[in-house]
Amino acid sequence: MTVTSTPPTSAGSKPVIDRADDPRNPRLRLESLFDEGTLTLLTDEDDSGMLTGIGQIEGATSVAFCSDATIQGGAMGEAGCKAILVAYERALADGVPVIGLWHSGGARLREGVVSLHAVGEVFAIMTRASGKVPQISVVLGPAAGGAAYGPALTDVVILGPEGRVFVTGPDVVRSVTGEDVDALRLGGPEPHGRRSGVVHVVAETQEAAYGEARRLAALLGDQRTIGEVEDRDLASLLPESPKRAYDVHPIVESLLDEGSSLELHPKWAPNVTTTLGRLGGRTVGVIANNPLRLGGCLDSASAEKAARFVRMCDAFGVPLAVVVDVPGYLPGVGQEWDGVVRRGAKLLHAFAEATVPRVTLVTRKAYGGAYLAMNSRSLGATRVFAWPGAEVAVMGAVAAVRILHRRRLAEVAEDVRGEVEAELAVEHEKLAGGLARAQEIGVIDEVIEPTRTRSAIAQAIAAAPATRGNHGNIPL
Amino acid sequence: MAEEIRAEMVANVWKVVVAAGDSVEDGDTLVILESMKMEIPVISERSGKISALHVAEGDVVQEGDVIAVID
Repeated sequence: MTVTSTPPTSAGSKPVIDRADDPRNPRLRLESLFDEGTLTLLTDEDDSGMLTGIGQIEGATSVAFCSDATIQGGAMGEAGCKAILVAYERALADGVPVIGLWHSGGARLREGVVSLHAVGEVFAIMTRASGKVPQISVVLGPAAGGAAYGPALTDVVILGPEGRVFVTGPDVVRSVTGEDVDALRLGGPEPHGRRSGVVHVVAETQEAAYGEARRLAALLGDQRTIGEVEDRDLASLLPESPKRAYDVHPIVESLLDEGSSLELHPKWAPNVTTTLGRLGGRTVGVIANNPLRLGGCLDSASAEKAARFVRMCDAFGVPLAVVVDVPGYLPGVGQEWDGVVRRGAKLLHAFAEATVPRVTLVTRKAYGGAYLAMNSRSLGATRVFAWPGAEVAVMGAVAAVRILHRRRLAEVAEDVRGEVEAELAVEHEKLAGGLARAQEIGVIDEVIEPTRTRSAIAQAIAAAPATRGNHGNIPL
Repeated sequence: MAEEIRAEMVANVWKVVVAAGDSVEDGDTLVILESMKMEIPVISERSGKISALHVAEGDVVQEGDVIAVID
């Protein structure tokens, strides 16, 4: 198929309304996305409700399509959906990112099942492209029904200030369930950024939304190679007390090249952070436990969030750095009923199947099942580093002796129990062997000084073969 | 608009850093909880005035309990 030389195809007839100055004009929106003067249309400006084009983003090629919200609220009909297929075929043929700008009420009602069928074909090509080319969605206005599931099938969803995503709008919700809710609360930045995980990036302005899409297209579509890396002392960002929780963001940002980090899902499941950025100029993905939230415990939502990020990075050949400081899985009825076993298994699966270089760094501690889940040696980590003093164990020493020496502890007087516990814990730590033993077993490759963290991780990534996983990125 | 700061998990209230009536900035520590053998600061996500403080040192909070209200 010679899609690379496809001339603009006429997907519908010429528009009847003048929209040259309408801010919803899809041509204006596409021009805002691409480098100035680089947009070439792939389909005609007509009444199909969709406009597609190809252009440059920071000098690298991307394909994009945009709902035409000036016609029937951007509803998707047969012709508009065919235009999206043209954009996708071109992106797949050229191996470049495809960006969707969404502002649409869903399928065109007046076309009936014909439009429904066409929307389904869009879903199918999105799935076919999944893991092959990066797919980025920017929701600029309401995106309902089919226009909600379109973005949801892509790798990253950015929500602009006017963006609203829902299956059914407030009117239908009210008439069916009686719930009185407005579009903002139903599908705006707060619910999707914090509660549902539907949206990866919330942008405060429309310009910022285009800006984030451009950064993502560059990070995923133009990954570059690892160059020189300068070191800095990351351990100075840890609190003095090993018991004190802290915010992991400064560590992730210092690990990455200055100003390069772009966090996905910052407010949803914030006890694990998933961040794209560059290390020595090369795109990498960083997964880090954040002790400030839930003590850094893994739970069902954070495991799922991290699993999807790992699979996305693996599919596009983005190497991973995993920063571990995890006390375990969050205990509780809520978690078990929420499927922490099923959803936690996704993270095990995602890491174990990943073929990209993936380097683990244990900064303070890694306990139990959560230790395994955070890209352990046994799951196939490329290399596992630890900072001096880090702990790798089934659980903390005190917790361990409470189980191992339950009877003996029950027999001693309550006022000295703490002391005895502490003594037993020291003994237990000696027996367990600490980092030296972990190195002996081979679950830690090397204890590194925090000052050479950046170069150690960069070298480990550069030394591993550049590979990518052969799979799609199902929206876990 | 008032914002309720709620406990994310079961914890002991180890230290109370602010008092009702205090002004706080985005990022300030309100209380420090103890859970999973860690001291976990609860951080304000907005600037404002503490209109109510519902916990004292030594209390046990459950997931979802209101710790403070910021106006």
